[in-house]
Amino acid sequence: MAQIPNLDNAPINLISIREQSQKELINILKNIRGKKCLVIDPKLGDSLSLIIQTSLLKEHGVELRHLSADHIQTDCTKVVYLVRSQPNLMRYICFNIHHDESKGLQREYHVYFVPRRTVACEKVLEEEKLHNTVTIAEYPLYIVPMDEDVLSFELDLAYKECQVDGDTSSLWHIAKAIHKLEFSFGLIPNVRAKGKASVRVADILNRMQAEEPVNSSDMVMPEINTLILLDREVDMVTPLCSQLTYEGLLDEFLNIKNGSVEIDASIMGLQQEGKKTKVPLNSTDKLFKEIRDLNFEVVVQILRQKATSMKQDYTEMTTTSQSVSELKDFVKKLNSLPEITRHINLAQHLTTFTSKPSFLGQLDMEHTIVESQSYDICFDYIEELIQKQEPLTMVLRLLILFSITNSGLPKKHFDYLRRELLHSYGFEHMATLNNLEKAGLFKKQESRSNWLTIKRALQLVVEDTDTANPNDISYVFSGYAPLSIRLIQHAIRSGWRPVEEILKLLPGPHLETKRGAFSNSPSFDSLSGVSNGIAKVPDGRRALVLVVFVGGVTFAEISALRFLCSQEGMAYDLIIATTKIVNGQTLVETFMEKLG
Amino acid sequence: MANVSVAAEWQLLYNRYYRKPELYPMRWKHVDLARHKVAAAPFGGPVAVIRDDSKIVQLHAESALRKLRLFNSAGHPLADTVWRHPGGRLIGMSWTDDLTLVCVVQDGTIYRYDLHAQLIEPNISMGKECFEQNVADCAFWGNGIVCITEQNQLFCIPDFRNPKPVPLADPMIEEPPRCIAVIEPQYTMSGNVEVLLGVADDPVVLVVEEDGVQRLGEDLLRGPLQKMVVSRDGKWLASFTHDGRLLVTTSDLTGVIIERECESALPPEQIAWCGMDAVLLYWDDMLLMMGPDGDPVHYLYDEPIILIPECDGVRILSNTSMEFLQRVPDSTVSIFTIGSTSPAALLYDALDHFDRRSAKADENLRLIKPSLPEAVEACVDAAGHEFDASRQRTLLRAASYGQAFCSNFQRDRIQEMCKILRVLNAVRNPKIGIPLSIQQYKLLSPSVLIGRLINAHRHLLALRISEYLGMNQEVVIMHWACSKITASLSIPDATLLEILLDKLKLCKGISYAAVAAHADKNGRRKLAAMLVDHEPRSSKQVPLLLSIGEEDTALMKATESGDTDLVYLVLFHIWQKRQSLEFFGTIQARPLARDLFISYAR
Repeated sequence: MAQIPNLDNAPINLISIREQSQKELINILKNIRGKKCLVIDPKLGDSLSLIIQTSLLKEHGVELRHLSADHIQTDCTKVVYLVRSQPNLMRYICFNIHHDESKGLQREYHVYFVPRRTVACEKVLEEEKLHNTVTIAEYPLYIVPMDEDVLSFELDLAYKECQVDGDTSSLWHIAKAIHKLEFSFGLIPNVRAKGKASVRVADILNRMQAEEPVNSSDMVMPEINTLILLDREVDMVTPLCSQLTYEGLLDEFLNIKNGSVEIDASIMGLQQEGKKTKVPLNSTDKLFKEIRDLNFEVVVQILRQKATSMKQDYTEMTTTSQSVSELKDFVKKLNSLPEITRHINLAQHLTTFTSKPSFLGQLDMEHTIVESQSYDICFDYIEELIQKQEPLTMVLRLLILFSITNSGLPKKHFDYLRRELLHSYGFEHMATLNNLEKAGLFKKQESRSNWLTIKRALQLVVEDTDTANPNDISYVFSGYAPLSIRLIQHAIRSGWRPVEEILKLLPGPHLETKRGAFSNSPSFDSLSGVSNGIAKVPDGRRALVLVVFVGGVTFAEISALRFLCSQEGMAYDLIIATTKIVNGQTLVETFMEKLG
Repeated sequence: MANVSVAAEWQLLYNRYYRKPELYPMRWKHVDLARHKVAAAPFGGPVAVIRDDSKIVQLHAESALRKLRLFNSAGHPLADTVWRHPGGRLIGMSWTDDLTLVCVVQDGTIYRYDLHAQLIEPNISMGKECFEQNVADCAFWGNGIVCITEQNQLFCIPDFRNPKPVPLADPMIEEPPRCIAVIEPQYTMSGNVEVLLGVADDPVVLVVEEDGVQRLGEDLLRGPLQKMVVSRDGKWLASFTHDGRLLVTTSDLTGVIIERECESALPPEQIAWCGMDAVLLYWDDMLLMMGPDGDPVHYLYDEPIILIPECDGVRILSNTSMEFLQRVPDSTVSIFTIGSTSPAALLYDALDHFDRRSAKADENLRLIKPSLPEAVEACVDAAGHEFDASRQRTLLRAASYGQAFCSNFQRDRIQEMCKILRVLNAVRNPKIGIPLSIQQYKLLSPSVLIGRLINAHRHLLALRISEYLGMNQEVVIMHWACSKITASLSIPDATLLEILLDKLKLCKGISYAAVAAHADKNGRRKLAAMLVDHEPRSSKQVPLLLSIGEEDTALMKATESGDTDLVYLVLFHIWQKRQSLEFFGTIQARPLARDLFISYAR
């Protein structure tokens, strides 16, 4: 699998993290002698594909299976379950084992919990009277490197669990993951957090530090200088807008999963009809690294340029006589040909979506909502969408965006739209609507909206955005600068203090602390001020900021952060960690409840 | 001169000097070693004494009940207890490496005592065969024991931490062996213990292992062996033959190292190695020290003695004193031999002149200028080997005097030695009574020494030493806290808590939960609850709170910690324990617990 991203250029040693996880998994397999059947829960399997090659697993005598309600067919006498610690997955395991027992099969069962064993899961096994049959152990995988600068905790339901179910397990997981990073890279001296969940994570992190201190006594500079924690709740506007960067659009339409998209082979110009093919998308691909963060309009132009220059070279080649060194250059260029073709194919495929009037209409509406000028137009548009029975996720996306920017809808409209939704899509969506209301995404208006104030104060809407030569992050949405990134921009540059007034308008508390040996050294205070050079690590690298999105992040936001990073005068490198990479659609889907 | 008197106490054996300083006069009263069975632990460990029930003795005013008494090496009483165990005669007793006293009685039961003469439950049995056949004799080593039954079957426990008796191969002998010795597992090829048996009327040594018996030394020995002892490193065997010779061979009996006539054909009562280069033989009133060559040294005793082999000599315990017989260290020899002109001796002399304000001091120094560093080193080293504090001081002063004149000497050597000596002098105090030599101290390691001190409930000293040596004090404080709880049943909870906290806070990161668990075990639930409140690690705190029945606090702490797994732990615990209505009442007030339970129940 070419999907495993190349991490050589990462600002911190992410390879060691990945190798550690690899080694731990292989040790688990080594410790169980002989042939075994490794049963992985599908979602975990996806994450693991970023850590380890299937071939490597097979080398250790492993038959791979996915965990489901069906029983497992294998000749192996040893079955190893590798599952996330979720009670519903336990039930599958119980089905499996009971099935084997009823068939009279004698097998040895091992259950490895990722990232740790939990009482709730063991309770299920106990209730099924299986806790003596299985050997229970842990595989402490808390963090998966997605790319050079992106880490994922692989908690796809974290946001919904926190907001709707009140289950804060994911916060502990995040804190633990950060704490683990601290063991490798030193105690992070500055912490800034915004949002209820983020502040809680910072709190748990401090608790962990008190319980199990990272040794900060040796005066080695910690590799990560600042930790910025941000709740998705703080900015739900951004993920609901359609992303307009190349990578963002790929995700919106083709669904990037673990750094690759799966599309029909025919689109990629392959001759296998009807077959799917996987296209890896990460920074190993040089061209992709160059264009992923650009606005899609620009990408098309760049690709065209590349193709033309290629063609030009080619014609020159056929007409005039060339020296050997020129030939060599040409062949070198030819090497990049497969990449160019690949992205031209993808881009062409994307344009079939982006040129659709419905998409353009949607974009238009998103901008109108964000501008927050004409309430009635938006209301009518959404009403119309419902009547047309457009895809539910798309409708909900706009509806939530609408509700958030107005901090809820007036009771009359709220009730009306709910009724309309249920009438056109069916009563079974009641639970979904209820979830959304609980999470505060689609609710009754209780107070006046302060979106306009926020928008103005943070300059979220920028007129005349030059997408080709951007000078502001607003290029990623062709005019709208993501709120989350604006906040981070401030947090990096000067801490929370100057924007305190605006922070108070956004949901959740905020927090800014210094930790460890640095908490009372005055020389470090200058860091939070306008710091050029001071923050630089002695060896000339830039200081590092870890940005953690609690509840998911979109590709467009990542692009915007990379853009910030590449700006002149920026004293920091950024690393992004998130519970999961999301987009408007996947985010809305997590709230959808299937009844029956 | 002072130098002369030091060397005058030495005895020359072949080409080596030996000395026998008195460590302590014994402080005990009315202990006659002749009437008692005695077990003394190496490394200056304690001495256990009990009246020997195989001898006929006259009871004067004492009670017929036997008493097991424990003393430290200075004869300071530590504890005693009345011996009331059934099972026949006491065959043997010995101290293990971790200072438990193991006592074997005839029916194969092993009773274990700690330093405070408390019986450690459960008792160990050597097995059914031992019970039926009766144990006739036994031999101990560091952590193990070998018993031989009256039917000459051998059983061993290789490690008291895992007390499972293992039968050894049948030696197939009719008569009980004349003598028995063991080679410790760590020195054998197989890694299992080897038992050497000197057989009656057969010029051979049987080596018994788990899976076979070997006959060794058939072409070497001319008659049966009467007595034998293996050296500390398991390489050499010293034995006393039927015709009154001392024979030192390799432990596989392939080569003779020394063969010497002794003055008596009667087998000695005791035989022991003194370090690695001399063997001690003890008859009724005479102690004979045999070296590789030259005349043996005689010591006369008019009272019974016990030889306690150490790694660098032998301690000699008598009714009135504890002596330490050792080879005089080379550095000490070079300084104190009569007429020595070695640089170290001259440096020592120079200090003497300096103290008397004599100009000869300078002359001496000039004489040894080029070899001053060695001289200083020798003085430091010699100081380390001294037991007498004033002589230590003089030698160290000589070293520091010399050091002032030499530029390239490692200055911390003296400091280091002072540190070690302060520790050694502290534990040598008769009240503590651990007469460690510097070599023994290094072999034992400071952490084990501290372990021994806390076992003897010398917590303050242990704490001071670990502080002084820069070691982790957690072990000491933890042990102290637990012993304190056990010992102070009458102190009210609040007072005791204060006393405990006062000390526990000395050590960062100490586990309050562990102390609390101990308090709970001792039936002090309230104290445990108060202690566990101070534990910073929720993952340890919460389970303990549950075990002492503080569910509500546990739920609160678990919620605070943010670790949902802990919350579940508490939830399931309460669910099992309480009525469901009460349970729902409890969680209703706590949103996180309630939400978690709902998502579990889904």
